[in-house]
Amino acid sequence: MKTGLTRLLPYILILLVTLALVWIDKPFWIQLAIGVAITAITALAWDILSRTGQVSLGSAAFFGVGSYTLAIFEPLIGLTLAWIAVVVVCALAATLLGLLTLRLRRMYFAIATLGFALSMQVLVVVFPDWTGGSGGIAPPVLADGDPRWQLALIGLLLLAAVALSDALLGLRFRPAFFMIRTKPELAAASGVPVVRMKIFAFIVSGVLIGLAGACYGGLYGYVVPTDVFTTNWSVLPLAIATLGGMDTTVGPLLGAIALKALEEVARSVIGGTGYQVVYGAVIILFVIGMPQGIVGLLRKAGTLAGRRTAAGEKKKERERHA
Amino acid sequence: METTLLAQSLLLALTTAGLYAAIASGLTLEFGVTGIINFAHGEFVMLGAFLTYFLYEAAGVPPLAGMLLAGLAMTALSWLVFDGFLSRVLKQDEHNQILATIGLSILLINLAMIAWTPDARVMHAPPLLPALHLGDVIVPGNNLVVLLVGIALYAGMIWFMRHTRQGLLLRLAADDPQLAVLAGVDVTRMFRLSFLIGGLTAGVSGGLVALILYVQPLVGVDLVMRAFAIVALGGLGSIGGALIGAVLLSAAENLTATFVPGGGSWGYGVAFVIIVLVLVVRPTGLFGSERRA
Amino acid sequence: MPDTASPDITRPDPTRPDPARRSAQPSGGAILAVEDLTVAFGGLKALDGVSLSIAAGEITGLIGPNGSGKSTLVNTVSGQLPVRGGRIRLHGGDVTGRRPDRIVRAGMARTYQIPRVPPTLTVEEVLSVPLLYAGRDRHRLPGLGDAAAIAAFCGLGPLFRRHCGDLSVTDLRRLEIARALACAPDLLLLDEAMAGLSHEDSVEVMGLIRNVHEQGISIVIIEHLMRVITTLCHRVVVLNNGRLLAEGAPATVLADQAVREAYLGKGFAS
Repeated sequence: MKTGLTRLLPYILILLVTLALVWIDKPFWIQLAIGVAITAITALAWDILSRTGQVSLGSAAFFGVGSYTLAIFEPLIGLTLAWIAVVVVCALAATLLGLLTLRLRRMYFAIATLGFALSMQVLVVVFPDWTGGSGGIAPPVLADGDPRWQLALIGLLLLAAVALSDALLGLRFRPAFFMIRTKPELAAASGVPVVRMKIFAFIVSGVLIGLAGACYGGLYGYVVPTDVFTTNWSVLPLAIATLGGMDTTVGPLLGAIALKALEEVARSVIGGTGYQVVYGAVIILFVIGMPQGIVGLLRKAGTLAGRRTAAGEKKKERERHA
Repeated sequence: METTLLAQSLLLALTTAGLYAAIASGLTLEFGVTGIINFAHGEFVMLGAFLTYFLYEAAGVPPLAGMLLAGLAMTALSWLVFDGFLSRVLKQDEHNQILATIGLSILLINLAMIAWTPDARVMHAPPLLPALHLGDVIVPGNNLVVLLVGIALYAGMIWFMRHTRQGLLLRLAADDPQLAVLAGVDVTRMFRLSFLIGGLTAGVSGGLVALILYVQPLVGVDLVMRAFAIVALGGLGSIGGALIGAVLLSAAENLTATFVPGGGSWGYGVAFVIIVLVLVVRPTGLFGSERRA
Repeated sequence: MPDTASPDITRPDPTRPDPARRSAQPSGGAILAVEDLTVAFGGLKALDGVSLSIAAGEITGLIGPNGSGKSTLVNTVSGQLPVRGGRIRLHGGDVTGRRPDRIVRAGMARTYQIPRVPPTLTVEEVLSVPLLYAGRDRHRLPGLGDAAAIAAFCGLGPLFRRHCGDLSVTDLRRLEIARALACAPDLLLLDEAMAGLSHEDSVEVMGLIRNVHEQGISIVIIEHLMRVITTLCHRVVVLNNGRLLAEGAPATVLADQAVREAYLGKGFAS
């Protein structure tokens, strides 16, 4: 059984850590927290999409489109409307990609979404009049460049992503999503409008990633296409969600913290070139050693502990594994 | 003028098509048999390119011999990788399968960056064949070598699949794994074999890359992206389709670079427009048949 | 055929062309009417101009040799295969070409022979999907308004909170019937609900089907076991090579020489 407190724990921790860091005001920790939060949002968004069986390699498309939309629209329609434009444009892009890839299964879907992300990068370079081409573009700086406020805003977005992820793990969506993933025909035969649900998941996921991308672009007020459309932003969410534990809210959070911490260590040991070797190593080790991710490992530990307690406890423990 | 440009462009496209076909056919074989897309396939090409480069620059090994050695080395590495961990993800969920080879790709790229810096190098080998003059059109000698070796690799693979017992078993394992198991085929062995062949062709293709392109840790990424487009065109798992896909992609790229203003900067963007369009119109590839995805 | 089917479900469809078949219908009228239905895969016609009607309130058996088009018929009327020609009417209303989830909404549910349910979902969660999404009046079936009641009705009460990955084949069959029942259908299509079950288990599932029927739900069963057809069904429809071969009372139809030859092979028929 999931008690109210464990359910609320991620929210409380995010709030406390954000407030503490804003209070302490140490630039290194604030930058690290911002990095963790942005990757965690993209990983949660990726996970939400994957619950409907859509294993995407196209997150970078939405990340880039988010930052570019904010940058392009802000001079035209003002800041507030530009943020709304980010949501609208990402939702439209998600609907388009979702419809285009609707019939694709497994690896075909992965390749097509990867192709979409890289095509977006080419579009940016091919239309330099609107996008600044390969020279980059200047989105409005987030929170006047004050890192503490930037962290606070991104922390809020993370809270929203966590809440969305939790809501989509509730009884209304989780069983329907999983049924779509396992056998779409069975979901349809249960009255689920499969196409609409898949597109809905795509929109939620795409908008979240787009907002994260817009925040990222606003950190320094300057982005180049290779910065936001890089395949890194497509792989990272998948890696983090898998390492942390898929189909959960806590998994992507834990995965983001673990991977970002590791990245920092590697950066200081190996230096700026090739430090991402730890990504490769960690991914391979996890896939071999604990394919269910960190959350899977914790559950295994929990089950072992549960065996020592009463049988009733054990049953509850199993229920939590759902 | 216009026609000379067109002819030159198409002939160069044909030579790169040989390279593309060799890379893509390895990728598509691995996928067809195991159902796994090897995102690290390009890194085997990259390592093959570095090997050929160093064998020539440091030890004076002729490029053709270097290529062969690179191919053998990549076969060995594929064996190691397959038995070391790829064989363990065969039964796992697809996201783990995708992640496994992506992880390998990231690992190899960054190891190469640490070992050899991200800088691009060019192999200073003299042309292995004289340039071919067809009227005003010139095809450099090394491009001819790439075309010939690429076609030889591709043809060798087709021959192997059609005329050997192992090739027959590979095709059986690819078409219907369950039937293959019932027929007593050791499917894991077939999976390994597909990766060994993939490694061999990737290593040799790496040598070709060193010959006409440049050597750099990220060169494999560029190439494997194109291989995806080729495979999408030809149908995932179809070796025959890989050649058609390679010719089409290579022609499209060269024509874009030659005739579209600023088209040279599109790079593999052409490939991606193709991927998205083809998969949307025909999810099994333009020339692919309905098979497991 | 003119599009003039009566929406009145208590009367048989007056536009039906075949008086002999109409006379074979009971007073309940047609809940499902298929008119001149043609379905093709490439050039191959899996269903070739099939016309039949399923009477309301009855259990109808749909039989025929392998490849006769039974599964194609079920997949087509439930909206999962495109129709090449003809009409499908549910309660007299045209549902031809509608999406599967819309057809569930219109009151027709189906089961799968091999239901692949997500192994990490519990029985409760699986049943929650149709209860939330089928958009039917839950209390249409008295006493079957929530997941727990439906599970108990189908003999899954003790397994309510179990994961589907832990269920036996028989329990998965029960769950599949329960899931379809949670769509609160007027008409239920059962695709080989007994295949692969032991004798005892199939007897139990037959009892369950009878109980479902007593809730006022019309049922179509695809089945190979003649024992099931003869004990459960009021009427039998026989398909062969994508065409209607015969229909009528089980005893009459099964005694028919053409049916015996098509279904059992010539050797058995003699």
